[in-house]
Amino acid sequence: MFHFFKNIQTKFFVFLLVLVIPLSGYSADSENDPFESTNRNIFKFNNVLDDNFFKPVAKGWRKIPDIPRKPLSNLASTAQTPISLANAILQLNRESIGNILAKFLINMTFGLGGMFDVASKQEFGSMPTVVEDFGQTLATWGVPDGPYVMLPIFGPSSVRDSFGLGVDTVFNPLSFAYRMNNIGLEARLSGPTVRGVTTREKYLDYVDEMKASSLDFYATMRSLYRQKRKKDISGELEESSSLLGLPIKSTENVEQSIDDSEVSTEVSIEPSEIIEEDKPQKVAETKTPSSSLEDTAKTVAKNDIGLMPSSSYPGARDTAGYAPRIYNGLMPSSTYPGFSGSRVNLIE
Amino acid sequence: MLKRFVLTFLLLTPTITISGGLTDKSKSFVENLGKEVVEKVSDVNISDNQRQQNFEKLYLSTFDNYYISRFVLGRYWRTIDKSIQKQFVKSFNKYIVATYAPKFKGWEGTFKATDSLFENNYYNVKMDIENKDGPTLKMMWKMYLNKNKEFKVLDVNIDGVSMLVTQRAEFLSVIKNNPNGVKGLIAEMEKKSAGS
Repeated sequence: MFHFFKNIQTKFFVFLLVLVIPLSGYSADSENDPFESTNRNIFKFNNVLDDNFFKPVAKGWRKIPDIPRKPLSNLASTAQTPISLANAILQLNRESIGNILAKFLINMTFGLGGMFDVASKQEFGSMPTVVEDFGQTLATWGVPDGPYVMLPIFGPSSVRDSFGLGVDTVFNPLSFAYRMNNIGLEARLSGPTVRGVTTREKYLDYVDEMKASSLDFYATMRSLYRQKRKKDISGELEESSSLLGLPIKSTENVEQSIDDSEVSTEVSIEPSEIIEEDKPQKVAETKTPSSSLEDTAKTVAKNDIGLMPSSSYPGARDTAGYAPRIYNGLMPSSTYPGFSGSRVNLIE
Repeated sequence: MLKRFVLTFLLLTPTITISGGLTDKSKSFVENLGKEVVEKVSDVNISDNQRQQNFEKLYLSTFDNYYISRFVLGRYWRTIDKSIQKQFVKSFNKYIVATYAPKFKGWEGTFKATDSLFENNYYNVKMDIENKDGPTLKMMWKMYLNKNKEFKVLDVNIDGVSMLVTQRAEFLSVIKNNPNGVKGLIAEMEKKSAGS
């Protein structure tokens, strides 16, 4: 038994080392998709599989009444707790550990063994579902995500996250329990299958909308995956390196007070000429004290194009409580939801 | 020490007041935009053509279409001449309208701005969109004040995903894989807009 674990450990660290070396080389490339041609073929295959199998199954799943559909989904979600907890511990993420444990205990007791997600109700503080995987753990250990890969069936991923998926599958404490109790593959697959179907059902309408409106669905999915994963792992949104040339230079410390009564909040429906470059108003609601408001009022802004503030992107530092670190499963989140009447949503 | 604290406080007070006023206004602005959308675009009683027209007017008056167009074209913006730039901005505008306007049809819900942060000359407004038939969406609007002291939206971020960044990733991929480059992208956008 000891030799088994020792062997596993050695192989694991050797693999990790092998993994880290090629990943580092690709980190500078934002697209980072050296296997694009293969990935696109797998993406096509996944789409065909989705159209002919997963989508009809998800549609069927949607037609099942809330009971037993929701309890089954909740049970499948609860079954993820051991692996999420293990990863939260490996990440030394106290917040996640507390959240996962508290949610598990509440749902196992008040939620009748995990059938009902009472922890997410307002009465229990609307606790979010925190899912931690080994890909995230590797990221917190400093392993870069590496090239983008499209996995058959599982969808968008990266070399690091694919490896993480494998580790999560092999080392899932539940897998050990299944093996020790000689539980068959059918039973072992029930959790992931229900989670997969639930996730697909959640994105049913949205994926169709996105597919229909997209000029390059593959590229859209790739970008969504990258952004969502970055946010899940670091809490940071896409910023500095991507958003260049914003209308106002962040480096300009133009202090100008402005009479806010002149600023209208009304939404005018008569637009100005669309092709012209807009001239920005430099407004500095500066955090540094000014010796004289009159002086600052005299300062006039320059109207030119500058660089993106290095750290000004919304929520870059303040995403706690706004969007929890949740990875919803196989499908990444998206940019254009919300405005359809669809029941599909990106937020758990 | 106390003196310094009081002095700092006094000096900061006027700017804090100004910040509060404008950040509050930025919140009102996005809430008003939401109301206008519900009123003028979601209405099921108007024709699809009217919906597109209303959406276009709202979009052009509240978003910085020029900046957004330039951003989504990335490094290619500087490689094309002015006439193609103009053509791209127009086609992009049409594409956005054709893509998004239909999504609002019949949408019901409320827009509530929960917070607004001012940093490096930009207003980052957090908003909850409460769908009538679904869970609440968390959004973030990035905007600034233009020379006319009007708010202009630059980006919308939903659950950590930037609309601008996603659009650019898609367009750059189209340009890369199209032998006609930016012109090819414009043709594809026009085709998509016409088909909507």
